[in-house]
Amino acid sequence: MPRNTSSMSRRLFLTTTGALSLGAALTACGGGDSGGSSGSAKPVGQADIDKAMKTPTQLTFWTWVPNIAKEIALFEKKYPAIKVKVVNAGQGTPQYTKLRTALKAGTGAPDMVQLEYQAIPTFTITDSLLDLRPYGADALKSRFVDWTWGQISGTKGEVWAIPQDTGPMGMLYRKDIFDQHGIQVPKTWDEFAAAARKLHKADPGVYLTNLAANQPAAWHGLLWQAGAKPYVTSGRSDIAISVDDAVSKKLGDYWGGLAKEGVISTDPDFTDAWYTGFNKGKYATWLTAAWGPVFLSGSAKATAGKWRAAPLPQWDPAKPSSGNWGGSTTAVLRSTKNPIAAAVFAQFLNSDPASAKMFATEQFFFPATKALLTDAEFTGDAPAFYGGQKVNQLFAEIGDTVNSTFQWPPFLDQAATDWTETVGKSLADRSDTTAALGSWQSRLTTYAKAQGFTVKGG
Amino acid sequence: MAAVRRHRSAGPLFVAPFLVLFLLLFLAPLGYAAYLSLFQERLIGGTVFVGLDNYVQALGDSQLLHGVGRVALFFVIQVPVMLLLALLFALALDSGLLRLARVIRLGIFVPYAVPSVVAALMWGYLYGPDFGPFAQLSRKLDLPVPHFLSDGWMLGSLANIVTWEFVGYNMIILYAALRTIPHELYEAAAMDGAGAWRIAWSVKLPALRPALMLTLLFSVIGSFQLFNEPNLLMKIAPAVISSSYTANLYAYSLAFTGNQVNYAATVSFLLGLLIVIVSYGVLLTANRRRTP
Amino acid sequence: MTTTAPETVATTAAEPARTTPAHGPSARRSTPLTIAMLAALAYFLLPLFWLLIASTKSAQDLFDSFGLWFSHTPRLLTNIKETFTQDNGVFARWLLNTVVYAVVSAVGAALLAAAGGYGFAKFRFRGDRIAFNLVLGAVMVPTTALAIPTYLLFAKAGLVNTPWAVILPSLVNPFGLYLMRIYAADAIPDSLLEAARIDGAGEAKIFFRIALRLLAPGLVTVLLFTLVATWNNYFLPLIMLNDTSLYPITVGLSSWAAQAQNGGAGASSDMIALVVTGSLISIVPLVAAFLLLQRYWQSGLATGGVKQ
Repeated sequence: MPRNTSSMSRRLFLTTTGALSLGAALTACGGGDSGGSSGSAKPVGQADIDKAMKTPTQLTFWTWVPNIAKEIALFEKKYPAIKVKVVNAGQGTPQYTKLRTALKAGTGAPDMVQLEYQAIPTFTITDSLLDLRPYGADALKSRFVDWTWGQISGTKGEVWAIPQDTGPMGMLYRKDIFDQHGIQVPKTWDEFAAAARKLHKADPGVYLTNLAANQPAAWHGLLWQAGAKPYVTSGRSDIAISVDDAVSKKLGDYWGGLAKEGVISTDPDFTDAWYTGFNKGKYATWLTAAWGPVFLSGSAKATAGKWRAAPLPQWDPAKPSSGNWGGSTTAVLRSTKNPIAAAVFAQFLNSDPASAKMFATEQFFFPATKALLTDAEFTGDAPAFYGGQKVNQLFAEIGDTVNSTFQWPPFLDQAATDWTETVGKSLADRSDTTAALGSWQSRLTTYAKAQGFTVKGG
Repeated sequence: MAAVRRHRSAGPLFVAPFLVLFLLLFLAPLGYAAYLSLFQERLIGGTVFVGLDNYVQALGDSQLLHGVGRVALFFVIQVPVMLLLALLFALALDSGLLRLARVIRLGIFVPYAVPSVVAALMWGYLYGPDFGPFAQLSRKLDLPVPHFLSDGWMLGSLANIVTWEFVGYNMIILYAALRTIPHELYEAAAMDGAGAWRIAWSVKLPALRPALMLTLLFSVIGSFQLFNEPNLLMKIAPAVISSSYTANLYAYSLAFTGNQVNYAATVSFLLGLLIVIVSYGVLLTANRRRTP
Repeated sequence: MTTTAPETVATTAAEPARTTPAHGPSARRSTPLTIAMLAALAYFLLPLFWLLIASTKSAQDLFDSFGLWFSHTPRLLTNIKETFTQDNGVFARWLLNTVVYAVVSAVGAALLAAAGGYGFAKFRFRGDRIAFNLVLGAVMVPTTALAIPTYLLFAKAGLVNTPWAVILPSLVNPFGLYLMRIYAADAIPDSLLEAARIDGAGEAKIFFRIALRLLAPGLVTVLLFTLVATWNNYFLPLIMLNDTSLYPITVGLSSWAAQAQNGGAGASSDMIALVVTGSLISIVPLVAAFLLLQRYWQSGLATGGVKQ
């Protein structure tokens, strides 16, 4: 072998290794916003990382993303020694239940897991997640949309997961129904309420929208948009719960009022009847997230070409804002026997440009990386289902208005179930939503106290 | 002599495999559950011994009491209806008055072979207030749409599903018992001049007593443990079926949603105790009525 | 609890059950009764009829057309094909799993119940009453009480997420034990056993050669009912299994239904047609098994219903 090549390659190797370790060292020493942290953020050396990535390893990944084999293939191509086994252990809550049980039993938990943003605190309170900073995760911060990084960060600056996709909320509406009844696209919630009344009066078989009585995520998204902070955790065992504060009551009066008037429907979503509702034009809008457009185009084929997208109606038109519904991350479990390989996987899957792009083109996820959100091909997409409107671009703009400081409780499943049984039920029954909010608050407070938290607010 | 000795020790050997598995798979978890019910595991603070606090809390838990009340009501309504139907069907099949008896017998029994997941799927659709066939027909005939999935009707709708699933099973038990009544009894009754109804009352029903006791016992257990059907219908009627709709469902939600395994164990034990009490109560009442 | 019918009933266990009507000439049939029963039959078959019709429809047609009649474009074969090819043919895997779990559990449970019933019925030993009553009492405990503790114990034994997690609990069938005990008491005369012992036969030989044969109808009953119970088991495999390739058909179908229902990115409503078709396919084997084995389970059940 000619001498220069080997010395060149050796020099190159040393340079890159040096740069990476230097970078990692810099990150560790107080590079984050929340100030430096203690020894737990001690970086793992690049040599160790390289060694681990060359050691034959079997990783288990729990995810419900369909056809993720393609992205996995990219990873396995880069790191042939690592094999990833994909297990679909359920979607959302059922998977979290399984995960909790497996962690409790001490065996059967995977190495990496798909976690929605709202589920993260539920697993950090039990110290189940691995801080990814020692594995270089901090370096990825600038690649992702700001508010997503806020969602995955811990109180001491830990990086608990890598964002995969997002769900900023907007409104999909039936242009033909609006035109037929002379309804303008509502820009404020007041306009929305007026439109709801007008539409339902003109055609009692149609509702302006459906606010599902079994969908706590949508409610939380709307709270998020309204600037509410229902759950504030400070420190490990302190939590302030205020799900019936002024903002919540405003929402409760608004939606409870519309439900009582009968101008919106409150059917449970993602059921056969709900799908049929879309196909038959029962619902004129869908307040949904950025994954909604693709989903709707697959489920409501009978209405192709009639839909358009717009931002959510606003409380304050001068300060447009939105909330988030859904979107996931990839987290690594602390119980893993292969922390390095798992951490590298989580980062690769969601930050490698090819892999991240695949999520957008193959699974039609709404991206969490800034690069994709400004990618011309992505934003230029103009599906016929929406009459050629550039839906992605619209949602990308909406994504910029999602505020960064919304927090989730460390017992999400309980909070969600309690919402469905109190507030959701009041919407379905058309009873007093304000009282229901009070019930929700007291249930959560009782639960949190029983679990040992110090609870403020209420 | 060797044969006798071998004989005596063989009994335990035959029952051992069953009992060993029973010990490992039933008694051990049960004991562990009992142990768990004396503790409380908190997100903050770990596991704490609380003695009988969980039990005290459960006895005052309004959600639990409502759940128990519901299954008690379910039991009182659904079981008599189901067993009466099973009895009538069995008598009809045994009477010899039916054409196509074999087909009818099998057809009524088939729902037993259907998993509750599928049964809930089918009935959930049929009950649908927008696109279910009953709703569609009602609208066509200008009748009010039946609200099978509403608060007021839900228990009845669940009772319908459970009845649909198990009438055939109970019917077969009763029918098989009827089939074993010896000819001589019928001949004796015929000679006494008894008509069909009299025969049914005096010959068949007494012979069915043990079988009826058996089906009644199963029904007590099944209705108080009601879980599958409400759990599966929760998805399409979430505002009606809460996580504490039945006591068993409550225990499940506590364990799997609320991370309150200890309290769930407590609730399950209390439920089991209730079932034992009701079962013995039912058996004692039935036996007392029998002694002349 | 005592028996009511005279001792003559005991012999019926060994004879086949009566096939001719109990009384009255077979020529006298009641048409009104037949019609009433046929109406009842229609009620029981209605949901299955819906399932059959729904399996011929595409997801879109399920929403568009009238529920109880066919759509304009029936596609049963397409639906069946898609059901079997979805997710790399995992549906066939689920069917296979269900068959394996159910058959192994059923055979195992029947043998264990037979041996146990035989032991309790034909032998006296210390603690036999207590043990038997304990087993019967176990039926009253709600399974939810046992779910998590069983899971934790299985996890320690490394059995979680394996077929054993589903099969082992199904091998313990208290009602089967009860049934077999009664059956053994009825069907196996003590004199026969004594004669065999005097001839020098060992207990094991007596059991396998003589007793099992006499217990056959009861055995088949326990086998069939455990088969149904395991086949339709949903809750236990749901919490024990994480690997999709280990699911039985009930959990598998439920996971497909959840995919359509749980919204968020990745959800699809097309799954509904597959759930419906899959449901139809899943009930065919059991119904067929019951049709073919009618003779046995009816006479087996007879005894359980007659004696205490």
